Amino acid sequence: MNRFKLVFLVTVVVAVHLAWAAETVPIKPSPTDKCPVCGMFVAKYPDFVAAILFNDGSYAVFDGTKDMLKYYFDMKKYDRAKNPSDIKSIQVTSYYNLNPIDGRTAFYVLGSDVYGPMGIELIPFANQAEAQEFMKDHKGKAIVTFGEITREMIEKMD
Amino acid sequence: MERWIERQKNILDFTLSSLFRRKWKNAALALVYVFLVFLLASVIFFTHALKQEAGIILQNAPEMIVQRSIAGRQAPIPLSYIDKLKDITGVSAVKKRLWGYYYDPTAGANYTVMAPEDVQLDPRSIIIGEGVSRTRQVFKGSTMRFRAYDGKIIAFEVKSIMPSESELVSSDLVLMSEDGFRRLFDASGEYATDLTLQVKNPRELSVIASKVVHALPDTRPILRDELLRTYESVFDWRSGMALFLVSGAILAFLILAWDKASGMSHEEKREIGILKGIGWETSEVVLMKFWEGMVVSLSAFLAGIILAYIHVFFTSAAFFEPALKGWAVLYPRFKLTPFIDASQVATLLFLTVVPYTLATVIPSWRAATVDPDSVMRM
Repeated sequence: MNRFKLVFLVTVVVAVHLAWAAETVPIKPSPTDKCPVCGMFVAKYPDFVAAILFNDGSYAVFDGTKDMLKYYFDMKKYDRAKNPSDIKSIQVTSYYNLNPIDGRTAFYVLGSDVYGPMGIELIPFANQAEAQEFMKDHKGKAIVTFGEITREMIEKMD
Repeated sequence: MERWIERQKNILDFTLSSLFRRKWKNAALALVYVFLVFLLASVIFFTHALKQEAGIILQNAPEMIVQRSIAGRQAPIPLSYIDKLKDITGVSAVKKRLWGYYYDPTAGANYTVMAPEDVQLDPRSIIIGEGVSRTRQVFKGSTMRFRAYDGKIIAFEVKSIMPSESELVSSDLVLMSEDGFRRLFDASGEYATDLTLQVKNPRELSVIASKVVHALPDTRPILRDELLRTYESVFDWRSGMALFLVSGAILAFLILAWDKASGMSHEEKREIGILKGIGWETSEVVLMKFWEGMVVSLSAFLAGIILAYIHVFFTSAAFFEPALKGWAVLYPRFKLTPFIDASQVATLLFLTVVPYTLATVIPSWRAATVDPDSVMRM
């Protein structure tokens, strides 16, 4: 039992530490982290992880870009204590090399034949060339940047 | 509760002495029973252990291997292909591999010779597997001679013997430097045996495989999953064959067990009649028969499982080695790492102990419900 406690404590310390370090250090969801939008455990789907890091060091992890954006467009609904101005950075997982990348500068492919744990997804890429290649291979419909994504687009995906 | 346990103990005591009275008959049955469980469990343990070994081998295998084929045969692949493969989106690394087989006439065995990129070796030294060390009696520091492609003898110094969690993987391995490999086999510096691709996202594997074929039409991509499936089907096929061979024994046992367990002899019926006559209840008779079935089948099952474990993991399945291990010749002595799949053991338990116990209980229940007077008069 003590060992579990220790593991838990270490996980929390590491998570907090990672959250403080933010930006440069990628978020690794702990086994108990749940997606605030759909309630599923995030660590089971490392290929689709997205995260929002806050100024106060806390973070929220999601099992897909879509759920992250749902949260982003409607923060009050999921967490009363947080405001859009508290956001420090956004991380998404790049499709080809599975590295965490900056969500605000990433390119997203819509309507492809690759589905995430929550179904239809926006698939993130670090650069436009990769996004175009992916769109060609996986019957994508459009490439959008973070600024171009609207709440309606996300709502239409469900 | 204590009373209940006491009751079970008394009935069990009676059962044991009654079994002992017919000891030869029961011993013969138990012996056949043990043998059958032993055969079945051996096959199960053995194939399961082999599959696990294959899993260990493939754990560190690259996601994709690209081989070149000319006229349907594998051929050396030009190093210039590496850049073309690197350009494919989603491929994170491409590595060349140099490997082949060397036939050693003194040992009468084939070695797998590899020149790994991540192990630094000078051109005159090699690292060998345990199997090679055992057959050739070469150890750390001694020299091992190889006959090169042109007949010249090349001497290598054994730098170390490979430790490994799975001996099946490393037993016949000989690791040497790239220089040594090229000198031994006259392999040109512009070619590799095959190329390995690292792909981070497994979802992308099939797309990348089709791009590889498109970009380099004379190559053939092999996915790790395909290798795993091939191994599994080979082992399934082999275990199926072994089960087919023992199916005759199983059938014979079933007939014997069924006959012994279900058909009650006149003597046994009489015994039940007497027990009822002296005041036993039907439930107690059934309980006694239940313990009888349990004692025979459970002890035979346990003995069979233990024997099978010893057979497979200590003697390397000596009985059906020739049938199950196609490449046994190459490995003079290798031990399997013990793996036991609890669910398979449970399945075997339910397939042997439960039907046997039921087959003893049901007819005795029928005999016990008959009037004791008429049973004793029979």
